[in-house]
Amino acid sequence: MRMVAFKETEILLNGETMMADDVEDVDDEESESEPEEVALSEPAKNAVYNKEGLLEKLDDISWPENVEWIHKLTVDHDHDQEKEIDVNDDLARELAFYTQALDGTRQAFEKLQPMGIPFLRPPDYYAEMVKSDAHMLKIKGKLLVEKKKIEEAEERKKAREAKKIAKELQAQKAKERAKRKKEEIESVKKWRKQRQQNGFARGKGDEVDLAFDDFERTKKRRPGVAPGDRSGGFARKRGNEKGGKKREFRDAKFGHGGRKGMRKQNIAETTNDLRGFNDGDMSKNKRRKG
Amino acid sequence: MGKKRKHEEASEAPKEKTAPTRPQRTLMGWKEGEVEKKSDSPVFRNKEKVLVTCSRRITYRYRHLMLNVVSLLPHCKKDSKVESKESKGATLNELIELRNCSSCLFFECRKQKDLYLWMAKSPSGPSVKFLVNAVHTMEELKLTGNHLKGSRPILTFSTNFDKEPHWKLLKEIIVQIFGTPKDHRKAKPFHDHVFVFSIVDDHIWFRNYQISVPHNETDKVDRGGLDKMTLVEVGPRFCLNPIKIFGGSFGGPTLYENPFYVSPNQVRALEKRKKAGKYAKKVKAKTRRKMHEMSNPLEPDEFADMWKE
Repeated sequence: MRMVAFKETEILLNGETMMADDVEDVDDEESESEPEEVALSEPAKNAVYNKEGLLEKLDDISWPENVEWIHKLTVDHDHDQEKEIDVNDDLARELAFYTQALDGTRQAFEKLQPMGIPFLRPPDYYAEMVKSDAHMLKIKGKLLVEKKKIEEAEERKKAREAKKIAKELQAQKAKERAKRKKEEIESVKKWRKQRQQNGFARGKGDEVDLAFDDFERTKKRRPGVAPGDRSGGFARKRGNEKGGKKREFRDAKFGHGGRKGMRKQNIAETTNDLRGFNDGDMSKNKRRKG
Repeated sequence: MGKKRKHEEASEAPKEKTAPTRPQRTLMGWKEGEVEKKSDSPVFRNKEKVLVTCSRRITYRYRHLMLNVVSLLPHCKKDSKVESKESKGATLNELIELRNCSSCLFFECRKQKDLYLWMAKSPSGPSVKFLVNAVHTMEELKLTGNHLKGSRPILTFSTNFDKEPHWKLLKEIIVQIFGTPKDHRKAKPFHDHVFVFSIVDDHIWFRNYQISVPHNETDKVDRGGLDKMTLVEVGPRFCLNPIKIFGGSFGGPTLYENPFYVSPNQVRALEKRKKAGKYAKKVKAKTRRKMHEMSNPLEPDEFADMWKE
């Protein structure tokens, strides 16, 4: 219990010493009895407000009445709804300042223009600026980085969407293909059944339309390399050293004529493909045995 | 009586004595005579010179703010740091006279946390003390604008500066201190930035924007260019909370006090007190519980020694 009381008095003492600290004139009417951060209107009653003195000083220091506007360059802007500007709403507040500046500048320019004096900076006027060039470069760099980030984010989003769509399309295509395959098999079966029923007597003039014509042929084979080629596309025909560099470059860029890859070797297309066997290196037989 | 005055008003006039009698007030008394002179000699020369200094133990942020202000005002003179708390007013007044300035901006940093800005007119003009909040310097990378160093700014004020006498006085002081004199040596010819002073929530907010408007000639805006005008913020940014207005320079009778001003020390003390209460309350609650338990003893539990060996 004793410890607690001691602590409380200590705190009170600290509070008092801190209060008297920074006020220039010793007017200590500001009581901070309220435990809130912003003082209420209670302390307001003791505040000094010497209107006449203020106006007197104003007269003292102000410039003569007939000073031209060009010396002062002041513009007043009327806030219609100044009550509604919430100090804590950053965006609204900054917007209000921006509109004030914009409006004021417009008025000022309208006044300056008839005066005939140059007031707009020509683009080739090089003079010292208030921020150094190095600093402006830094700013530019930062802006570019931000722009890049935004763009990348957008690209990623687009890629995601595109991938989704592509996946859907692919699924659809696969479905369609499966359907067609089924249909074709069905149609063949039907045709066989029909033929069976009709006793195999028919000739070629079938009424049944077999719709065989659009079998899909996969066009995804790389035509460059022969199927039986085991070099993976790297071997080149002898006697082709003229465009050596160009050839190398193009091979590297476009994939050496197609590598072996995980593809089937024995399919319909490759059965009749005799590229690898036609005079491959027969001009000079390496292992001539006689 | 040839006391040299360091005023900005047209200085040729006061040497001669005019026919009308000298007015009573000696401080600004020249004014009356000069007004009549104005009609004869239409030259008004703004000879404002601002002395910019700071106190010792100022932190980097506020030092940069001061340097930014120095770069914004070509008619200022930067001086070295000012020591000594007690005779601060006298020292500063002497400094102003020494450097032949007519006003002063003094950045005072207390406890390395709070910045107070004094604006004073010399030799006997009023002075104001502000508390500065929300400081953003020009070095911040989000403030991307840039303008000529030394070009004359356009000053815009919100209309609530004309509503009350203390705001009017502040407006006049600001115009004289922050407005670059027209024919100053270091002033550049074009107007490419604008200052915004507006009163929101009894604080004066300052913003500085660069003006970019499409134009081909230097004295005419393109057709419809005024609508395409954009402003880019240059900085710095700060918010002034007026504390007191004094009749003299760095002292004198208090003309105005801000009734809503709470010093940052008090704010911090209040917060500490709120937090300090927590532990005390906890201890109190504990002792209360103990007392309560002691005064209402429980009945002995019948099952208390059921599990005792």
